Amino acid sequence: MSEQIRHKGRIAQTGIYLGKLFRMFIYQNDWKMIPMAALIAGMVTFAVGANMFKTQEGTVGGCFSLVCVCLWNGFFNSIQVICRERPIIKREHRAGMHITSYIGAHMIYQAILCMIQTGIIILICRIANIRFPETGAVTGNVTVDSAVSLFLITYAADMISMTISCFVKNTTAAMTVMPFMLMFELIFSGELIYLTGAAKKLTVLTIVKWGVMSLCALGGYNSLPMVSLWNQVWKFRKVEIHGYQPVKMITDKILQEKKLDEFLLQCGAYNTNITYETTTSNILTCWGFMLGTIALFAVISILLLKRVDKDTR
Amino acid sequence: MFSLRDFDFYFVYRIFAILITTAGFWMIFKKCGKKGWRALIPGFRYYKLAECVDVEKEGVICMLLELVEVVLTIASAVKGRGSGYYGYLALFNLVLLLTELLYRLRIFSGVCRVFGRNRKWLLLWGPVTWAGALIFGFGKHFQPVNLGYNPDNDMVAGTNPAKIYFDSHINSVSPEGLTVILKDRIVRDMTKKRYLLKDIYFTIPPRSLVLLLGGSGAGKTTLINAILGYEKANASIYLNGVNIYDNYEQMKYRIGFVPQQDLLRGHDTVYNTLQDAAKLRMPANTTSSGRKSRIADVMGVLGLSEGSTGLVSKKSGGMRKRISIGTELISDPELFILDEPDSGLDGVIARELFEKLRDIAHQGSIVLAITHTPDRVAELFDQVIVLARDSGRVGRLVFSGKPSEAKEFFGKNSMEEIVMAINKKSEGGEGRADEFIEKYSRLMNERSSSPEKEADSHE
Repeated sequence: MSEQIRHKGRIAQTGIYLGKLFRMFIYQNDWKMIPMAALIAGMVTFAVGANMFKTQEGTVGGCFSLVCVCLWNGFFNSIQVICRERPIIKREHRAGMHITSYIGAHMIYQAILCMIQTGIIILICRIANIRFPETGAVTGNVTVDSAVSLFLITYAADMISMTISCFVKNTTAAMTVMPFMLMFELIFSGELIYLTGAAKKLTVLTIVKWGVMSLCALGGYNSLPMVSLWNQVWKFRKVEIHGYQPVKMITDKILQEKKLDEFLLQCGAYNTNITYETTTSNILTCWGFMLGTIALFAVISILLLKRVDKDTR
Repeated sequence: MFSLRDFDFYFVYRIFAILITTAGFWMIFKKCGKKGWRALIPGFRYYKLAECVDVEKEGVICMLLELVEVVLTIASAVKGRGSGYYGYLALFNLVLLLTELLYRLRIFSGVCRVFGRNRKWLLLWGPVTWAGALIFGFGKHFQPVNLGYNPDNDMVAGTNPAKIYFDSHINSVSPEGLTVILKDRIVRDMTKKRYLLKDIYFTIPPRSLVLLLGGSGAGKTTLINAILGYEKANASIYLNGVNIYDNYEQMKYRIGFVPQQDLLRGHDTVYNTLQDAAKLRMPANTTSSGRKSRIADVMGVLGLSEGSTGLVSKKSGGMRKRISIGTELISDPELFILDEPDSGLDGVIARELFEKLRDIAHQGSIVLAITHTPDRVAELFDQVIVLARDSGRVGRLVFSGKPSEAKEFFGKNSMEEIVMAINKKSEGGEGRADEFIEKYSRLMNERSSSPEKEADSHE
């Protein structure tokens, strides 16, 4: 046979597909993801931003909500991107396209999209006057540390949904599977519902757990006051025992001596959570797990999409 | 004293039903050319019945469901009625039974089809299976009429003219053009072999525009996929003397394929679509100017120059088809295959398209196209290849030659009449596929025995 003719390799093909994706960002109105991210982040910060990084309860709730925003953004970024053009991929793969280049191009494109969305969330948080801690535990800059955490959460969710998109054959199936993944992430994170036994072990598989952990650690959860105990006690002020109101007496004493802040901080000190410890190693562990998730799902996506040739007519 | 009250009528009925069903299945198996004793094995007999009537998958599911039911019944018996699990097991068993009934009905529906009977018979088969088995098994007027292909029933080796012709050309590889030597293309449905194509040999010289003709299900797309190497067959396919299967990694760049459905990203411009195709498919050492020049050539040939900055999704059906062709043509393939390129296009645009394909063939490629409306462009073709399903539902070669010879061979005036002649009677055709398969094979065998005639046919 004639001499072997070389065609574009993996890196060159990645560039070609990346160019195509950026063009389609404009033509296919993918840019709508950006105002959507701003809208959803604005709604969440409006609802939970007031007590974020001020009290332990507000921090956990706020971090969980921000993680949900990232999860939502990530899932929606790529849930349909592969499955909607599966027949095209099949033909192009048969004509010489490398699946690794195709997935690689999507990973780069999605990473940039996730970075933009992360930037928007940080910006909205700043506009909403959320009081971030003064220093970051890893880089020294809390904005950078928070941005890395938010980016990794969004990107990990993005990679999971891209894997789903590689697995299913059409967009309808993708949109059917997505809510189940969302439910799995939220329920099995252990942040929404207290889990025990085998269910608790599954929490390590969720990005929500690692996301909330990293954000709470960055927010200095363990050094924040705890208010829920005071709020509960306040409800029982009028309880009478033998004509006395002991709860009212205690609360009034604390207020009269202006010891409330000290009391709340002491409550917080008794309510520390070792997983939210503000240490570099703790935060890096969380980031490591999320990076591992990203790498794992990227590999699974490639392996799944390599089976595209087996699609029936 | 024996009392009628003690007599278990239901038990007797069950035994009666089992015996009659077994006997009925035994006879049905015999009518289908299978061994009757297989009807004696519960569960397995449904699988064999499904195999007889070409719904093997349903048979396997039925068999597995029955197996699970047995396990559950034993588990229920062991746990006892008082056990907390009993209710769950019974409920699960009920669901399984209903599911199995559905699958059995599908098998019985297959029985009705194979025996050429109305599906109303399911009303009997469903509730009173033994009665259905009895009637279909023992009824003299109930004979299978639509049995699937059984290789054991194929003509005795050495007497089948199609096979003789194929065997005599198994090593005849043309150094130029396309040579297809396809022994068979089989799919395995569970454990059963199903022949999709068999004994197909033809050659196509370079610079030819070829029509691949045949009714629905004749195996046209299967043949194309086999040639392309997408669904490899037990075959040797040579393009200009090079075996496509053995050198697939290189050959895939030398073959263009335009499927029926337009595989284009709508949200990209026409020019960028072609440019990306050029970057991916043209050799890596092609210069930027060489690539641009090729894109310009392709756009010129296909009439895409105007509006090339517009989005693909905004273009008409005919334009999109031409863009599809353009993305494949960009690498200047030696073999160019199109699956119904004119589907959804009106007559004028379809003709324009085929004229462009004619030009592409003139430039040196082999262009092989499937179309269901060939007569409006019949004179443009150099060669026509006709496929048809024989009585065993296997796709076979009926004819390969010039369009004028095809009309003469089939005794018809148009390509559509040829398709009608080979289509089954149930599809509104004349059902003469077997006749023409044999006629063509005998003709080719005669030509093979006199080399001068064969040389004429290749010119």
